[in-house]
Amino acid sequence: MKELFADILNMQGIKGVVLLSVKGDIVYQQSLVDGVPDLAKVEWENILSTLDGTRETDLAFDRGRVYIRKTDLGYLLIPMSLQASVAMLRLNCDILLPSLKPAKGTRGLKRLFKK
Amino acid sequence: MIKNVLIVDDDQEMLVALQNGFQKYEDTFSVITAENGEEAVEKLKKSTISLIVTDLKMPRMDGFSLLQHVMENFPDIPVIVITGYSTPEMERMAREGGAVSYIAKPFMLDSLARKIMGTLRKESEGGTLHSVSSGIFLQLMEMEQKTCTIRLEDKSSGKKGVLFFSDGELLDARVNDLQGKSAAYEIFSWDKVTISIQNVCPPIANRVNSDLQPLILEASRLKDEADMNEESRKSERDEAEKPARPAASQKTKPVRDPIRRIRTVIDEQVGQRSGLVDVYRDKSWDGNVRQWSKVGSIFATGELQLCYVDRGEATDYIVLPGSDTIVLSVNPKCPRDKIMKVLHKL
Repeated sequence: MKELFADILNMQGIKGVVLLSVKGDIVYQQSLVDGVPDLAKVEWENILSTLDGTRETDLAFDRGRVYIRKTDLGYLLIPMSLQASVAMLRLNCDILLPSLKPAKGTRGLKRLFKK
Repeated sequence: MIKNVLIVDDDQEMLVALQNGFQKYEDTFSVITAENGEEAVEKLKKSTISLIVTDLKMPRMDGFSLLQHVMENFPDIPVIVITGYSTPEMERMAREGGAVSYIAKPFMLDSLARKIMGTLRKESEGGTLHSVSSGIFLQLMEMEQKTCTIRLEDKSSGKKGVLFFSDGELLDARVNDLQGKSAAYEIFSWDKVTISIQNVCPPIANRVNSDLQPLILEASRLKDEADMNEESRKSERDEAEKPARPAASQKTKPVRDPIRRIRTVIDEQVGQRSGLVDVYRDKSWDGNVRQWSKVGSIFATGELQLCYVDRGEATDYIVLPGSDTIVLSVNPKCPRDKIMKVLHKL
């Protein structure tokens, strides 16, 4: 699974990747920094309800950014530093997105991803 | 003038292949190579580059970041993007970022060469003049109210420089990493130059803010001093440089109304191609802003400053939280990263 997100995770300034289902369940999580709280305890439902109908959302904070991309499975959240290249990240997401489609006829996590 | 083309790619085999393959065009352009964006930025400081060919996916500094750097600091240098991961969206992003051309790998060497030469030809579409006196020629440009980009090569030192004229007004100058008045003084000190004229001027800020005559006189004075004392020449340039720095901002009066301020800042720093449709107060976003602020707490990224929302519609939105939430509606093809950067600094 980590290989799928390798291009994103290897980018400078990227702090991790979280893939949430439409309902807010954590499908995949990889953090590259310490101190991230237990994301399973976060009430994602209210946050995700604001993203309904959005293709991408780029949230700029005073100490970093969080890029959110709609996928066929739900939402991909990528926290990063202010210096990270958002254009490059968008490009890597474009490349990755076709792999994040629900596959038919298989069980477990494999059913969620194309090879 | 033999022009320098900077090719940027982390694939060393590709660099060697292009360098060897382009040897047959050495009477038109020579190739300088860099393995990533950072190295390219250093090469841009040291050499006068006429065109950049860059890959997108590279370590340390990628092609998009390089493209952004070039558009901000060298807007006259055309950039051709080559990539092995071509999608329509990527092509759109590259062109929005300022790339003049976009080529998917694999490509034919000669077709890239044709693109390079076609783009380089535009540099001298307005003609080329040899062994002319720069001062007299440039005063002519001012008198005729010309809008153009002029590239000059000093016959004695081989140094190259660029001048940007809009309606006869000198907006900016560049010699290697010198810009503004300092670069203009350097160029005006050249006696005999080869000049090529391009009949366009990129949208750039006025770093010079002066008529040509006083600049030419000052350049002449500086040159005389330099002949007498190398050390005093350096300190004089530093002094002359001081008033040039705040020139662009001197024109800007403080604007209190946040909506007017946003419009002014975008007009000045992004220009006419900002894609800005409207700026307005809109409290209907407040609920979303509250939820998005929570994302900052979760990932410890601090306080929410602004949000870009793409709904795949005819208009995208930039939301600026505050006591009065301000919303900018923008064309989806706007230079998004540049606008975000400008607004983030507010």
